[in-house]
Amino acid sequence: MMDILFLLLGSFAILGAVGMVSFHQPVHSALSLILTIIALAGLFALLSASFLFMVQIIIYAGAILTLFIFIIMFLNVKEANLPKEPTKNITLFLGSLALLPFNFLILRAFYQMPLHVKVLEQDFGKIKPLGMELFTQWLLPFELISILLLVALIGAVVLGRKDEV
Amino acid sequence: MIANTLFGYIVIAMVLFSIGLLGVISRKNIFVIYMSIELMLNAVNLLFVALGTYHNDMGGHVMAMLVIAIAAAEAGVFLSLIIVLYRRKKSLDSDMFRTLSQKEAV
Repeated sequence: MMDILFLLLGSFAILGAVGMVSFHQPVHSALSLILTIIALAGLFALLSASFLFMVQIIIYAGAILTLFIFIIMFLNVKEANLPKEPTKNITLFLGSLALLPFNFLILRAFYQMPLHVKVLEQDFGKIKPLGMELFTQWLLPFELISILLLVALIGAVVLGRKDEV
Repeated sequence: MIANTLFGYIVIAMVLFSIGLLGVISRKNIFVIYMSIELMLNAVNLLFVALGTYHNDMGGHVMAMLVIAIAAAEAGVFLSLIIVLYRRKKSLDSDMFRTLSQKEAV
């Protein structure tokens, strides 16, 4: 059962990614990326990361990509303004050929990874232990992230102003 | 038993990262370039979570959450940049945005 779920989610993730790079219209690409994101959320759930499963669906699919589709529709790009990419399929094909040896190397390096046999604790990956970890061991990165978000907020507001410099 | 091995997750993360890299290199539409960057971040996230679960350590999960926060900040800044660029050049072609290049100042 788990195997079928894993294969299904993995193939959906890869299918969405392939669609994302190969579609011409940005909206189609964004919708394919949502497919990938939701499949990855399912993979997080298989890895018993239940809190990250929720975060992935709510923040990524719900906030980031919705904002993204909103911007695409807000700009209302005409077909003539999209970049013409006559050699797109050839470049994608050649690029994937060029990336194959690196992937083969990675596969060879990780081929003999053992099964994971350890029994997980009962509440591994739930909100409470994750919060305990986040607010004790990872407190400084957490605060730095909050500063980063504040700076990004100010930057987005400054960049998006109407006036012409 | 494939769902319990680390190898399957590594394969999926590797394929997603490669596709993202391919998109950044070979596409010109700036939206697709941004989405490929997001895809690469997601692939690394999957690897973090898989290794965290494998080592029975919550650190990987916390790291994945921090990466999601960084992706959110990136999304805000990048999208406002795209709006400004599109207002100026009326195009989404990444080859058009070369004001800072030395060869020809547009």
